[in-house]
Amino acid sequence: MNIKKYIKVYKLFNYTSLSIELEYQVNIFIDLLTAIFGLSGSIFLLSIFFSNTKDIGGWSFEQALIIQAIYTILNGITNTWFSPNLTEIVKYIREGTLDFVLIKPIDSQFWVSFKRISPTGFIEILLGFVILIYCFNINNITLNIDSLFLLFLTIGCSISILYSLWFLISTTTIWFVKTWNATEVLRSFLYVGRFPLNSFSFPLRVFFSTVIPITFITAIPSEVILGISTFWKIILEILVSLTFIISSRRFWIYALKFYSSASS
Amino acid sequence: MHSNKIIELKDISKSFFVASKEPGLKGTLKHFFKRKYNEIKVVKNINIEIKKGEIVGFLGANGAGKTTILKILCGLLYPTNGFISIAGYRPYERKAEFLNKISLIMGQKQQLIWDLPPIDSFYLNAAIYGIEKSEAKNRIKFLSEMLEINKELYLPVRKLSLGQRMKAELLAALIHNPNILFLDEPTLGLDINAQANLRKFLQLYNKETGSTILLTSHYMKDITYLCRRVICIHEGVVTYDGNLEKLLTKLSPRKELSIICKSKKDIESLKNLGLDIKNVESNEITLLIKKEDIKKTLKNILNKYELEDLQISEPPVDEIIGKLLTNK
Amino acid sequence: MFNLTPYKIGTLLKTQYSNMMEYRVEIALWAISGVIPFFMLNIWTNNGLNDSLGISNIMLSRYFLSAFFVRQFSVVWVVFTFEEDALLGRISPYLIQPIHPFFRYFAQHIAEQITRFPFALIIALFFFIFNPESLWFPSIGIFILSLISTFFSFLIQFLIQSIIACFCFWTEKASSFEKLIFIPTLFLSGLLAPVESFPTFVKSWVYFTPFPYLIDFPARILSENNVNIFSGLCVQIIWIILFFIIFLKVWSQGSKKFTAMGL
Repeated sequence: MNIKKYIKVYKLFNYTSLSIELEYQVNIFIDLLTAIFGLSGSIFLLSIFFSNTKDIGGWSFEQALIIQAIYTILNGITNTWFSPNLTEIVKYIREGTLDFVLIKPIDSQFWVSFKRISPTGFIEILLGFVILIYCFNINNITLNIDSLFLLFLTIGCSISILYSLWFLISTTTIWFVKTWNATEVLRSFLYVGRFPLNSFSFPLRVFFSTVIPITFITAIPSEVILGISTFWKIILEILVSLTFIISSRRFWIYALKFYSSASS
Repeated sequence: MHSNKIIELKDISKSFFVASKEPGLKGTLKHFFKRKYNEIKVVKNINIEIKKGEIVGFLGANGAGKTTILKILCGLLYPTNGFISIAGYRPYERKAEFLNKISLIMGQKQQLIWDLPPIDSFYLNAAIYGIEKSEAKNRIKFLSEMLEINKELYLPVRKLSLGQRMKAELLAALIHNPNILFLDEPTLGLDINAQANLRKFLQLYNKETGSTILLTSHYMKDITYLCRRVICIHEGVVTYDGNLEKLLTKLSPRKELSIICKSKKDIESLKNLGLDIKNVESNEITLLIKKEDIKKTLKNILNKYELEDLQISEPPVDEIIGKLLTNK
Repeated sequence: MFNLTPYKIGTLLKTQYSNMMEYRVEIALWAISGVIPFFMLNIWTNNGLNDSLGISNIMLSRYFLSAFFVRQFSVVWVVFTFEEDALLGRISPYLIQPIHPFFRYFAQHIAEQITRFPFALIIALFFFIFNPESLWFPSIGIFILSLISTFFSFLIQFLIQSIIACFCFWTEKASSFEKLIFIPTLFLSGLLAPVESFPTFVKSWVYFTPFPYLIDFPARILSENNVNIFSGLCVQIIWIILFFIIFLKVWSQGSKKFTAMGL
């Protein structure tokens, strides 16, 4: 494993995919509009909820906005790094060009996870940060070094979980070519991450923290910001994200074994 | 003695398990509830040894198992059983050292990035194979001269013609100087000129670098031009492995002798010599004569008859191989 | 005008149905992906957000279940298929066949909905197991009316997306337009919150757009909430006619461009 080589290759991945994206400028503009409308829509929905009540699941509108901000940032990351590569992997399988990837002296998971990058998510990441800073303001939050460190740690874990979820789904492409339906399931469940976990009834809360760890993704970083997170929750998030990363790796290796014994 | 064989296959077999479905609505519903899996043996107990620097052609009809063997060789499929060694490696482990030594070119699939000029894909590949930029530059220069491709390297791939694209594909596949080249139908869809250029290039490349080349092709010309050795595959079994010339002699031990006579009488007389007749047309007759008898027969005929014209030819290769693929 | 005969339609539907059965796992997953309305319902009732709206929990849960059903049977994806076909060069052979290419897609959608039906029923069954008090059986009349309005909603969305799909003749990635259009569809159609709950400044103009007629209107019929059925159906028909005319225009322009210069 040669880190220098991987960095070099990663830079070239970024260079090539950004060059491709720039061939379609109109799309970038439309995606930008989509990001802005999408965020406005979410805030609109949130405001409908709060028009009838002061708090939802113990969260005020201002606090719930933090979750929205974190969600927007993570969604931007997904749109920049994870979902373009999913589209790409579907293409590899359909066109049979995964063969070219597999005979290259480079880790295939690295290739299929990082080959593409799409600038469309950048605007969401930016908007998310703008809202987050606005939230710091209206909630009178000042972060010290400790909580900043915890924030980065928990967001890092959230990104790892998200990556693994997306990659696990990408991997199923080897069996089912039309994976984007599975993607829709993931997308719709992740949608829930925009709202405080406590706003759901107890059974759903259990579901969202065990079957699909959506709560870990947005709730814990938001709680860290508000300073109401507990130590065991952060430890748990670290463990969950490690489990996810490891299983995504295992599953990929298993899928490749299947691919090389059964594909035609 | 340490032999210079680079590829060795012993008793290699490969099976696939495929779900089968009957046509129509009924079949679909049946398929919904209970899927039937059939084992299909695609490759059966194959033994092959290939020496360094050889160019070997795989012949076989569609679905004979050529591509499967090629995929086993480059490590994309692992064999159901048997022993395989390529340059001392087990391909299916896909070790980096092994992958650095091989390359795969598929006529109907492409690895170049569609929206970008080929040059970008070359540098990406160079980085993946751990080649320094300066070295990559030299390599690109060397190969592009050999392939006679230049300004096309700076146009988006989607704007290139099929022939140019294939050249660029080759360049991308050869940038790391592989010792072993696997080509699956490399001339598919190319026009006659482009096919000829590709063949010339492969021959030259083999000569200059001493690399081993294995290829499958539907175009007999590719095989006859490049390969002295061919391996025929039929339903997953090797039916012939050896010299191409010998295969042709074995399959068609006779030559065609066409004679145009001045008089019809001579034709009638030639008919009654007891030789095999392929065709008679007014005053032209085509006879099939064993290669070892050709001198004697010719002498005889020249002495006895007054001829207008005479022609000796080999039956066309395509015809022979076609026979081989369908009959045996 | 589309060269249709019952025989053609029947065969096309049958083949597409077999084709869709091949993808039943994917379609099941897709049905599952439509459960968002239930999550929304949970937020509404769990926090008592509907109290000030004057909708009871039972009526609200019926509304969201109906929204789920309407959504299940009005999902459209023609733009993605068309884009893929355009990319892989399948459009030319379709164009020379004596049937309008979009009818092929239309049949695909219908076949997909039929395949989807059992999965949607199973999900509804689970819903009633968890919420037995909201179980209801609409009268035949109501059922048929809601079926019609759901089909109209499907038609509107199919036409909108077909128009967008025609953009493929000019730009390579029409699906990003679709993603843009999907945002208002998501937030304004009533899938996440009944249009009734929208603030007045939104309600004042939203009924002039097609969005509330995509989910909210058919769902209200089915769940037997208050709604003016006749005028709603009329508005749906107006939108269908309007989009149909636009579609024909765009299609003829696009295919003209296609035959002139190819893709």
